[in-house]
Amino acid sequence: MIHFKRAVVNGLVLALAVVHVGCRKETPKEPPAPEAAKPAEPATAGRPAGAKIKIAFSAPSADHGWTGAISVNAKKQAAKYDDVEFSLIQAATAADQVNQLNTIMMQKPDVLVILPQDETVTPAALAAMKAGIAVINVDREFSDPGAQRAVIKGDNYGVGFQAGLYFASELKCKGNVVEIQGIAGISVTNQRSKGFADAIAPCKGGIKIVAQQPADFAPDKGLSVMQNILQAQPKIDAVYTHDDDMAQGVVQAIKNANRDKEMWLTGVGGSRAAMDQIKQGGLYRATFLYNPTMAASAVALARLLAKGQGLSDLTEPVIPSLIVMQAQGVFKDNVDGFMAIGF
Amino acid sequence: MTARRAARAQDIALPLVVIALVVAGTVLKGSVFFSTANLWNVLVQASVAGTIAVGMTFVIATGGIDLAVGSVMAAAAIIGGHYFATAGSAAFMLATVTAAVAFGAINGIAVAWLRIVPFVATLAMLAASRGIAHQISHQTPVALYGLEALTRIGSQRVLGIPIPAIVFLIVVALGWVVLNRTRYGRYVIAVGGNREAARIAGIRVRPIVFSVYVVVGLCTGIASVLQTGQLASASPVVGLGLELDAIAAVVIGGTSLAGGRCTIVGTFFGVITFALVFNLLTLENVESQVQQILRGVIILGAVVAQRRGH
Repeated sequence: MIHFKRAVVNGLVLALAVVHVGCRKETPKEPPAPEAAKPAEPATAGRPAGAKIKIAFSAPSADHGWTGAISVNAKKQAAKYDDVEFSLIQAATAADQVNQLNTIMMQKPDVLVILPQDETVTPAALAAMKAGIAVINVDREFSDPGAQRAVIKGDNYGVGFQAGLYFASELKCKGNVVEIQGIAGISVTNQRSKGFADAIAPCKGGIKIVAQQPADFAPDKGLSVMQNILQAQPKIDAVYTHDDDMAQGVVQAIKNANRDKEMWLTGVGGSRAAMDQIKQGGLYRATFLYNPTMAASAVALARLLAKGQGLSDLTEPVIPSLIVMQAQGVFKDNVDGFMAIGF
Repeated sequence: MTARRAARAQDIALPLVVIALVVAGTVLKGSVFFSTANLWNVLVQASVAGTIAVGMTFVIATGGIDLAVGSVMAAAAIIGGHYFATAGSAAFMLATVTAAVAFGAINGIAVAWLRIVPFVATLAMLAASRGIAHQISHQTPVALYGLEALTRIGSQRVLGIPIPAIVFLIVVALGWVVLNRTRYGRYVIAVGGNREAARIAGIRVRPIVFSVYVVVGLCTGIASVLQTGQLASASPVVGLGLELDAIAAVVIGGTSLAGGRCTIVGTFFGVITFALVFNLLTLENVESQVQQILRGVIILGAVVAQRRGH
């Protein structure tokens, strides 16, 4: 039986298919995925007819709005399919996640969808692939390309870059900007900062980042950090925040100081609260999508993979191996189109 | 005699640190730092952790600890926001404070009557109440813009003083009076100093131990109102690590983790010290790791000073 599965799958060799749902020119360097070097693709097209597709989703436990929405999105998507048997497991640490993955593997799911805590989860994913369980990685690519059949992720550099372009054009390359970052020292923060810096670089110092502080993606930290910055900076034109949830605190600090006419701000993510405020107009001008809907799409991909199908509008009969979400800007004039995916 | 002088030296050490920070801030940032606006700003920033730290002083005075305060603060606000926000500001505040007190009471029962070590009992509550906050809120913040009285607490001033700062100062004053000028306060300290002796002296130990967790619950509820007032929303992710901020402030203030010795004034200066460090380094736009290092140095320095004092 297993030989038969392998045989079916061995026939399917897939070239790199990068689906950019959008039109951004600056593509961050993606190393060409060494598909050819991969072991046999452990898809499960040979399941007995009528059996449900078993999809297990392993996610970090909800320590902030975004990770929370990841789990919610995955569950909602799975509930849409009556041929899917879905389970969701959350882990507070990388070590917990590895242990959980080892347990899940023994239950032989058809596809494992993993949003890893960090790269130390890679060996567990690799073991799953070797055991014939296809792995779909969400958002944090494994260090070993053989540890995943497909990756679906957001574009941290892209959100920073898109935000930077917006600032450069809105401020006409001139003004004082405050940057409220996520957690200091992690790659998400570094890339969101670098993308922004690169995009405003052509302004040749016309846009000055007068303060740059982390607030750990938390609204309460955003509030207190911004309260201090407002004391230090008599003239602020705009604020670039790395997260919609955290931005809530920054917004309130500005409003409580009665300086909401002086500046505007942007977020990242695509939360419902942010979109509501963008629609209202005023302080909150824009957010750049880094949307947890990617978890829903990952579940959809997992199902297609298990059924041995491709994306219906693409030519290939199997799913792509890399999908990068567009860091779409959401503004007052287009926010209505995105309300439905606000989290 | 020398021991006494050393103890006094320790009592004034922290105010000296505060003065040094103020001088440093004034030299570095001039009127940006040394202004009434920034003075109130520092007090507002200290208000959430500080209000909790006052309650934490009671708990630590009995030799206990409460690790759950940050999570309870989030859970209480979510309970208030999710179920009672439609009924108005007063209902929200009452529900939030009541919920926090209830969480504190559960901790108190676990410690006083079920005889679970405070560290473990409140560690369990830290996990459980954070889970409750996420579960009820479906991991999304609850908007509270509509609650005008609540948001006014976060943004308005009375006699030029921001309301969170006023509330914080009142809580400090009440805490001081209760701990130093009432029989209840003496019992709390007696229970922390020597439980057996307190029992023999006729103090009913378990109700006293229970009560300090209710006190910290009440303070956490008040802090939760101050926080949601400023944020105009209740979020399940606020207060991460807040327990450590509160404990650190209490400890550098001179309250002994072993119990029996406590000082609300010390706690107040402890909170202000951390708030000033945070304020000053953000004004200077210093990278956050420097702040963490400095916090570590201050904690260690304060504890060493305490040892020498006693």
